[in-house]
Order: sequence, then C-alpha cells, then structure tokens
Amino acid sequence: MKAIRVQQTGGPEVMELAEVPLPQPKPVEAVVKVSVAGVNSIDGYFRDGRFRTPLPFIPGQEGAGVVTAVGAQTKTVKVGDRVAWSGVLGSYAEFVVSPEEHLVPVPASIGDEQAAASMVHGLTAHYLVSDAHKLKTGETALVHAAAGGVGLLLVQMARAIGARVIGTVSSEEKAQLARQAGADEVIVFTKHDFEAEVKRLTDGKGVEVVYDGVGKATFDKNLNVMRLRGMLVLYGMSSGPVLPVDPAKLSEKGSLYMARTTLAHFTATREELLARTSALFRMIAEGKLKLRIAKTYPLADAPQAHRDMEARKVAGKLLLIP
Amino acid sequence: MKAIQVKQVGGPEAMEVVEIPLPQPKANEAVVKLAASGVNFVDVYFREGRYKAALPFVLGQEGAGVVTEVGAETKSVKVGDRVAWTGLQGSYAEYAAVPAERLVPIPQRVSEQQAAAAMLQGMTAHYLSHDTYPLKQGETALVHAGAGGVGLLLVQMAHNIGARVIATVSTEEKAKLARGAGAHEVILYSQADFEAETKRLTGGKGVDVVYDSVGKTTFEKGLNVLRPRGMMVLFGGSSGAVPPFDLVALSQKGSLYVTRPTLVNYITTREELVARSGAVFSMMATGKLQLRIEYTYPLAEAQQAHRDLEGRKTTGKLLLIP
Repeated sequence: MKAIRVQQTGGPEVMELAEVPLPQPKPVEAVVKVSVAGVNSIDGYFRDGRFRTPLPFIPGQEGAGVVTAVGAQTKTVKVGDRVAWSGVLGSYAEFVVSPEEHLVPVPASIGDEQAAASMVHGLTAHYLVSDAHKLKTGETALVHAAAGGVGLLLVQMARAIGARVIGTVSSEEKAQLARQAGADEVIVFTKHDFEAEVKRLTDGKGVEVVYDGVGKATFDKNLNVMRLRGMLVLYGMSSGPVLPVDPAKLSEKGSLYMARTTLAHFTATREELLARTSALFRMIAEGKLKLRIAKTYPLADAPQAHRDMEARKVAGKLLLIP
Repeated sequence: MKAIQVKQVGGPEAMEVVEIPLPQPKANEAVVKLAASGVNFVDVYFREGRYKAALPFVLGQEGAGVVTEVGAETKSVKVGDRVAWTGLQGSYAEYAAVPAERLVPIPQRVSEQQAAAAMLQGMTAHYLSHDTYPLKQGETALVHAGAGGVGLLLVQMAHNIGARVIATVSTEEKAKLARGAGAHEVILYSQADFEAETKRLTGGKGVDVVYDSVGKTTFEKGLNVLRPRGMMVLFGGSSGAVPPFDLVALSQKGSLYVTRPTLVNYITTREELVARSGAVFSMMATGKLQLRIEYTYPLAEAQQAHRDLEGRKTTGKLLLIP
C-alpha cells in the first residue's frame, strides 16, 4: 500500500510517499481502509522531532474509513463498518491498523470527510466547553485563535450553550470567520491589545474562562483578564511553551484556577470516547456545528499540506485523501 | 482602654500592653466590646514586619463581641448585637471600631469565643470544601496538616459531605485528633511516604482533590497523587512558598488543575460574607462542627500566646480574652 513515511525528522520535505506492506491486525485490532486523514499540528511535532517516536514511521493521528480486516478477538467492530479515530499514529496511508477500542462508529448522516475533520478538533472543543470548564449560559468566555481549527468549533459550541464569546484572531479575514461562527466580539490582536479590549468589553470584570491554545504569547495577559475565581484552560501552545508559573500569582490575581489539558485524558474510557463522539456527530448531523474544511490534498501532497498548516494562513481543516 | 500595640516590629516582646483612647465610630462603623480575639499566624507576620502596617498599630485580625456604639449611617447593626469579624487590624484590644458591613451576626447557640475562633479558619475550611472544589459524596480528599487549625475543620466538613478523607499529620497525637475529626485514613508523614501511602489507599487511582497549606515540601508529590483531571488546592505555605512550576507537569500527570485561593476572594460581597459565616455558625450550633479551642490567654499575655503558636506545638485555636 501507499503511505507517507518519515525516515528522518525535519521539515515538510522529510515526508515521502512510499510503498509499504499492508498492516496485519493483532487479536484486538482492526485494519481500516483510510478514506480521509486529518492534518493536525501534532503531526508537525512528530515530523520535526519535538514529539518522539521510533523511526521510520508513518505520520497522522486521525481519520475515517471502512474496516477491511479484524483480529481474532475483536468485539466492537466488524468488516464493512464505517469508523473514525484519533490518536492512532499511521493515518497518512491507504490502510491503518488500530486497536479496536480507538475506533468509533460513524453514523450514516455523517460523511467521511466530516468524520475525519471532527475527531481531534471537535472532540477537543467538546471537552473544553463541557468538562474542562463546564461553560454555562450567561458566562463570558475568551477564546484565543478563534478562527483556528479548534477555535471555530469552540466558538460555535460556546454560543450554543448560551455563553457570550470574545474571540481573538490575527487578521480581519479571520475576524469575519469568527463572527460567522457566532463570536459576540472579536479582537484582532495584531491591531488591539487584547487585555485592554477584554477589560473594556467586560466593564473591567473580566471573563469566567479563557480557552487558550496559544500558550507563551498570551499567558501573562490572560491572568489579567479573568474575573475573580476565573479559570484558565490551556490546551495547546502554538506560540511555544509557557514559562514556569509562580502559584502566588494565581492568588494575587484573584484566586484563579489553571488547568493544562490534553484530549487523551478526556477520552480515557471507551464510554467517554463514545459519548463524546456521538454528542459531536449529533451536533454535526443536526446542523448545529459547521465544520470548515479549508482544503483537501492527495496523500502524496502531505508536504504541501504541512507547509500550508505551518504558514498559519489557512482557517479550517486540512485533509489528505489516500 | 487596654490594647496590645506594636511600636517597632520584632519578636513576641515587640507586643506591649498600652492604654489608648476608646475608638470612636465613623459614620459607617460600629464599636465592639471584644469578648475574644483570635490569634493567627498572620498576626505573627505583621508583628515581625513580614507584612507591613503603619507603626504603631494594634494587632489582631479576628474577634467577636457586643456592639456598644454605632456611627450615624450604620444600618445593619445596633447597640447590643452580638457580632464577629475577620480581616481587619486591631482586635487585640478591649474595643475595636469596625465597618458595619464587615460585622456578621452571631446566632444564639454560638458563644462569642466560638465565633471568634471560627471566623478565619472556619470560613476558610468552608470555602475550600464548598466552593474552591465543591466536594461530593463518595469523592476522596487528601488534607495535609489534618490536625492543624484549618485542617481539623476541613476534615470534619469533608466527612460531613460524605467524602473519604485521607489526612497527613506529623505525630501520633495529631493522628488521633485527625481521626477524631473524621479522617478515614491518617498518614504520619514523618514515618511513611505520603505519595506511596495515598496511592496504596486509593488502589493506585489517586484522589479527587488535594488541600495543601504546607506548600514547598508537599506540592510536587501532591500532583502525583491526583487522579486524572483532579485538583490541587494550594491555600498556604507553612513549609515555604512553592517555587514556579512547569505547566507541562499538569498535562503529563493527567490534565490537572491548580488553584491558589485566599479567603478574601471568597467573602467579597456582604451577601457572601453573611452566607458563609452563617453556614459555619449553623454547623457549630447543630453540633456538626466541633471547634477545638485549646488555650485562652488574658489579653496581657499575648506574648506567651505568640510563643506557643510559633512553637507549633498547639493543635487548636488560641484566643485572647480582653
């Protein structure tokens, strides 16, 4: 089968199209013919060596497709099932092998592209608003990178809950996307100081919660825009890791809370993964959550997809089609 | 009237009994004849100069007594009312002038000594267990310094909620006190590693919340005994301040939460102050919360009270009786 292979970590050019053997399932695994693979920033971290895995490897964590073979002891999937997944390394390929517990059923109302596009970003947005900080009607949330992959979904979900959403974006074009997704207020942080703007927009009170996938660049100011006993949820660090934090700051700024979260801890059991995924698919099927698929590429163009992702010019999801 | 005054910061001997004029109420104040004044570590910090106050000043942050005079614009209290307060300097005295909005009524079945003893530590234990991390029945909490002033009250409140309490203490004597307060498990941290013990006692799962007033010596290990998505509530630093910590640890150890609360942020409005003190007094009146008033001293023996407190041999509340 064809797959993208990384033999040495580095820039996008280290991803080559290769012919590799078809994977075989272990007893509790299934082999899936990949219809669509999602492109995520974490794929870039594995490719450039920031996250480590033995070489050579096939990148990609997310996708959707059809089961073509199952191991002897699998119970939850059978050949012919339409499934989607995240957290399974090797998705940039015609076929991928996955533990069956990572595979979730895709309902008939959801297309393969939608399913693949929603697993990482959609599940992340879902756990952020429903668990990491359970957002309530009437609360105000600050969403950084509101036109980003997670951001656009987070804004829609927060609005559906009835929260007021203030988004930050880097350009006017992205501001429009964030507004279309439902952001009540959008701050173009390249033109306006988000700290001053958030204070102004909340009459000095600050927000109940900050959802931040940016990290280093936004951290200090975040602590100044939260209301008393507010919550900062850090779920990523696109601008680099946050420097060590003095806990005394949290009390000085008003008995604040802070969490550093990752999706794996919010899909830790099979029950939680299924419940979260089905809630997400339901929102998509009912038209309450619009996915923005920015571009699809043939599998061989994975290096270009990574270049586009890392240039930060695309707003929405990038997909590879094997 | 007699009062304990600090003219120059220093050791316990810096506290002198002086004769000063009776305070007069400003328009929004009431004068209270003190029945009891609580002795707290914060008093030591002011006496030593670690916390700053304009010299000379009358020490003491907590008290209870009877209103003897009110200012022209006070509405919430009248002469003869039994009241208590915390967070204002000047309670080591026969009388204190206090803004009326800071005075809370003492119900009939609570004595003035009990009320004075409960304001700071009782309300702290209350906000920790009911608001900072609202404990639920069936959850497990680790309470460090489980026989300390706040610790003994926190253990009782957590127990009353129906949570399982694991307490750490330094001696057998304190272990007995923590058990008496309702701790299900007590770890003598001088004899056993609390990280290993807590893991063992929770079948490796970890606790839902850690309440930590010890700080420097317990923080890191505390993160290791939290379940995924559990919360570290750091509310003091009796062993020293926790140095800046790396947020990556929070995600690696299971999408953990950290907060550093202080009482003042949990009694920010008159409504909140009255509701919280009322809740604590009602627990006392119904026998659900036992305060351990260990020593009472005549006002003139404030020096001895501080020596005893700083010697860390006391396990309950110290009061000065004017």
